[in-house]
Amino acid sequence: MEQRETGRLSVDMGRCEGYGMCQQAAPELLHLNDDDEPVIDVAEIPPTQKPLADAAVRACPVAALNISTTSAPA
Amino acid sequence: MPSLATSPRSDADIFSEKVMADPYPVYRELRDAGPVVHLERSDVFAVARYEEARHVLGDWESFSSADVALNEQFNQYIGDGILRADPPLHDQLRNVLAARLAPRALRDLAPDITRRAELLVDRLVAKGSFDAVTDLARWFPVEVVGDLIGLPREGRERLLPLLDANFNCFGPENARTLASVPQLPELAEYVMTSATRGALTEGSMGKAVYDAVDAGEIPEAVAPWLVMTYVTAGMDTTVHAIGHTVWLLAEHPVQWDALRADPALVPQAFREVVRYESSVQVFGRTARVDWNIGDVTVPAGSRLAVLYGSANRDERKWPDADRFDITRNNLDHLGFGYGLHGCAGQALARLEGEAILRALLRRVSRIEAGEPVRHFNNILRGLDSLPVTVVTD
Repeated sequence: MEQRETGRLSVDMGRCEGYGMCQQAAPELLHLNDDDEPVIDVAEIPPTQKPLADAAVRACPVAALNISTTSAPA
Repeated sequence: MPSLATSPRSDADIFSEKVMADPYPVYRELRDAGPVVHLERSDVFAVARYEEARHVLGDWESFSSADVALNEQFNQYIGDGILRADPPLHDQLRNVLAARLAPRALRDLAPDITRRAELLVDRLVAKGSFDAVTDLARWFPVEVVGDLIGLPREGRERLLPLLDANFNCFGPENARTLASVPQLPELAEYVMTSATRGALTEGSMGKAVYDAVDAGEIPEAVAPWLVMTYVTAGMDTTVHAIGHTVWLLAEHPVQWDALRADPALVPQAFREVVRYESSVQVFGRTARVDWNIGDVTVPAGSRLAVLYGSANRDERKWPDADRFDITRNNLDHLGFGYGLHGCAGQALARLEGEAILRALLRRVSRIEAGEPVRHFNNILRGLDSLPVTVVTD
């Protein structure tokens, strides 16, 4: 379950309702546009910012934000 | 059932008034006993720790909400309601709610909700002493949400006791549930006669449900039940959150002063209220597959009681978990649930709670609270009464 590789933040727009908790958790990595849609500002998560990305994922109330890893899924 | 041999067990009755008066010591015992604990009285596995609660709520494919109530009769009664539904039906229903309840849909409502909060708080502060539950918390969400759903004004006064009964029915088959079941027909009758296509006001959230039917987005048969969801989920949960807000900030005057000095902390403070005294304490799930957790296997088909109120006090997750602290990082609390079935009205609840809090902050330098009277409900945690005197200087 725990992925150690650095990955990319991805949003399931079918689930996202624009609460903006991700932006509050990790403003360095993403922001909400005028329509409350998340925009990923940092494509590849730098290893130093992985904890921030994890916090953003955890903060999403509807589990719409994920980290997809670059390695092949198990 | 080999799992029952390995899973820790408890005979605690988390639905007794004795435990509900202060559930947190019992919650801690359950968390310390293991990642899941079999509650022998109601034959469910309590999920009392944060990580496990989050895991269960976040994985709807492994953990069905078909048994969201802890008794079979009420699950049957809810039928295909959104709380029990899986995708794709769930998503059709959720989209109708989210189109009106997502933050972007609520932006234009904020000024009116703020104005209403100011008017109500003005009137109460002028009195000097009032009951923060019966004069404030029970008044505001019924008015605000009632208007948003588009309910006729007449008959709303009947709603809160019926909604409270409805929440009781999500509990196990205990005396509180059995006493509440006879009130369900009155609630259904209210929705079927007062919240109909013709009675709901134009442009309202309730009316939008029927617009979705006309647009072919949802089946006609589910419409009254979706309106019912607005009515049943959107009022007393917020009532209890507002009551707890006033109580906790009266009990923590230093934090009240901090909030007055920096009102930007209001959203975090309201979140902390919801973490610390979660309006919703428990909902059910069913394991669809064997769940291996630690050295315990919860067999497929087992019923789970996810204890939101305990997860939000889990010392494994929260430093100094039993400390009310409006400055803590609480973005990922589980007070509104999580995932697919996470509270669809959470942005509206926050809007209401924060509006009341800001209105109080602007006028009141200190809240002095008398003895709170605890309210008992199988699912909800809240107060029946909280006498307060407010100081303005």
